[in-house]
Amino acid sequence: MKRRTFMMSAAGAAAGLALAPRMSFAAKGQIDWYTSSDTNILDFWTNIVKPAFEAANPGLKLNLVDAGDGAGIIAIGERAIAAKQTNADPQADYFESADALLPAGAIKAGVYTNIKAAGLSNYSKVNPLAIESEYSLPYRGSQVLLAYDTTKLKPADAPKTWDALVTWIKANPGQFVYNRPDKGGSGGNFVRRAIHQANGLDPKAFKVDNYTQEFGDEALGKAWKLLADIAPHLYDKGAYSSGNTQSLQLLSQGVVTMIPVWSDQVLQAIEQGVLPAETGLVQLQDLALCGGFTRSVVIENGANHEASLKLADFMLSEEMQSAILTELGGFPGVSWDHVSADLRKKFADIIPQSIPTFPGGKWEAAINDGWYRHVAPNVDRKS
Amino acid sequence: MSEFVERAVSVSTETAAGRRSIGLLLVAIPVFLVIWLVIWPAINAISRTIWRTDADGSSSFDLSSYAFFFSDRYSLDNLAVTLWTTLVCAVLLLVICLPIALYLRFSHGRLPAYVQALAILPMFVPSIILAFACIRVLGPNGMVDILLNAVGLPKIRTPYLTPWGPVIGLVWDNIPLTVLILLSGLGSVANQSIEAARDVGANTIRVFWHIILPRISNSILVALSFSVLGIFSSFTLPYLLGPASPEMLGPFMQRTLRDVQDPIGAMTQAVVAFGFCILFGLFYVRSVARNRGK
Repeated sequence: MKRRTFMMSAAGAAAGLALAPRMSFAAKGQIDWYTSSDTNILDFWTNIVKPAFEAANPGLKLNLVDAGDGAGIIAIGERAIAAKQTNADPQADYFESADALLPAGAIKAGVYTNIKAAGLSNYSKVNPLAIESEYSLPYRGSQVLLAYDTTKLKPADAPKTWDALVTWIKANPGQFVYNRPDKGGSGGNFVRRAIHQANGLDPKAFKVDNYTQEFGDEALGKAWKLLADIAPHLYDKGAYSSGNTQSLQLLSQGVVTMIPVWSDQVLQAIEQGVLPAETGLVQLQDLALCGGFTRSVVIENGANHEASLKLADFMLSEEMQSAILTELGGFPGVSWDHVSADLRKKFADIIPQSIPTFPGGKWEAAINDGWYRHVAPNVDRKS
Repeated sequence: MSEFVERAVSVSTETAAGRRSIGLLLVAIPVFLVIWLVIWPAINAISRTIWRTDADGSSSFDLSSYAFFFSDRYSLDNLAVTLWTTLVCAVLLLVICLPIALYLRFSHGRLPAYVQALAILPMFVPSIILAFACIRVLGPNGMVDILLNAVGLPKIRTPYLTPWGPVIGLVWDNIPLTVLILLSGLGSVANQSIEAARDVGANTIRVFWHIILPRISNSILVALSFSVLGIFSSFTLPYLLGPASPEMLGPFMQRTLRDVQDPIGAMTQAVVAFGFCILFGLFYVRSVARNRGK
């Protein structure tokens, strides 16, 4: 081989090495934190939580990383499982938002910390309704409401029960839209409210571990009938937007009159002027639309496990839980008794008696699949 | 003199050998990447969908996921809408891009340069930005509606959230590639042959049909198979602009994997998509091989 050829191949190999992923190790005292939430949550952590936590715990630092979406978190969870098996450093300590059951086998592999047994001083304050697993920590919540255009619908006429809502949708064809249930929680929880409606308004009937094929087919089948019944009266004779934001866009462009929305998202949209200040908000009184809690997970084999537990405890402190209310427009993850009295008084009107929730796990897959099969295609939109 | 010849010969054999090793080295990287990122996952997906592990741990040959796909109305509807979108886009691309390419080939001056720049522009617009721009312009109460309303005309039937939404976006997105390939094909049409045909009295249509088309049929095939491959497996535009159902295979696969949590189902859909893409790919390979054979 000539020298030049050799030099070129050597240079190529060197370039290849330089481009290969560089090894990095978690720094001591730096909590590697990942989120799958939207930018408003990352902003909240960057501007509020990080300075407060670092001031309260000298020597500890937060490294805030956006994992993109749920699949991103799951991929890092899988990396942590692999790291556990080889006793390597997973380079992850804390998931801001995760499902303790995903990736499958993470709990069994000992990668997720049992939060209940971890001895957090504030754990007893957590709202018992919000706890789904001992391995995840619900620290903030949010609720789905109906938002409407008050220039087209007077607040006094706004529907306050499911039946009134259905009557209104049918009387005002094309004026209501909800997004595909897997593409955003506002449409997702509207669909779950229909499931509650079809099954005796009893949120307790659905548990994370009671899904069976027969029960699922029967319970969901009734809900698909309800939803297919209103489908021809929805926007564009049964079109479904592809996310929370797209629904908000249709409302703000005056295309529809009413949509289901996340409480924190709609409050922010009104504040930023995306929606007019006179946008009306209403909650169904017979049974509220479902809400959801965001649950954090602590990685058991993370390099900064102790510090991460400190962070988890810190998130349940009164200071942080109040900030979730005032800065984020969310609901606290602790019971309302553990929020300062002033705030409790201030938010008295929107404090829900209960936030109905719907379990994830197999129910989620069944709902996502069933809705697309039975509700979405039912309508011939060309007519 | 003889020494000089000898040296020249040895240099030329050395550079030939050197070139060969550099050539192989240059080819090795893409070949390795293709094997690693495309061929291996494809083999993996095929084997995992036909050689399945049961609940009790025993693995066996099993085609049930394919049987389900091809007997499931919903999956077949999605496949049908994907093929329909691909076909409609291919026809529209040809109808739109061929005149642009012909114009650019046979005219001179400033204006064609601007037209070419405009035709290439979509290449530099990310599809997610294109999708939201489409929503703002063609969506309900969008710019087109506002303009129509200003002159007292009724609103358009918006393509947003219908199967035509992705068609409009995908056609716009694929114009640059198609125009460029057709343009390079038109480069092989000699001016003399066109002039000769004109001299014996051929009109424009005859020149196009008998002189130009036979020379660029290969380019048309290449352009269409390129854009068809991209359209068939597209994700962003059908996801953001298309209806909830029927959905194209791209969003369908992603949803089956993530939201329905059914990796085997998603892989089966992927293998079916491979199958169709291989068919389109064969057209391309055949036309390239035929070209080389000439």
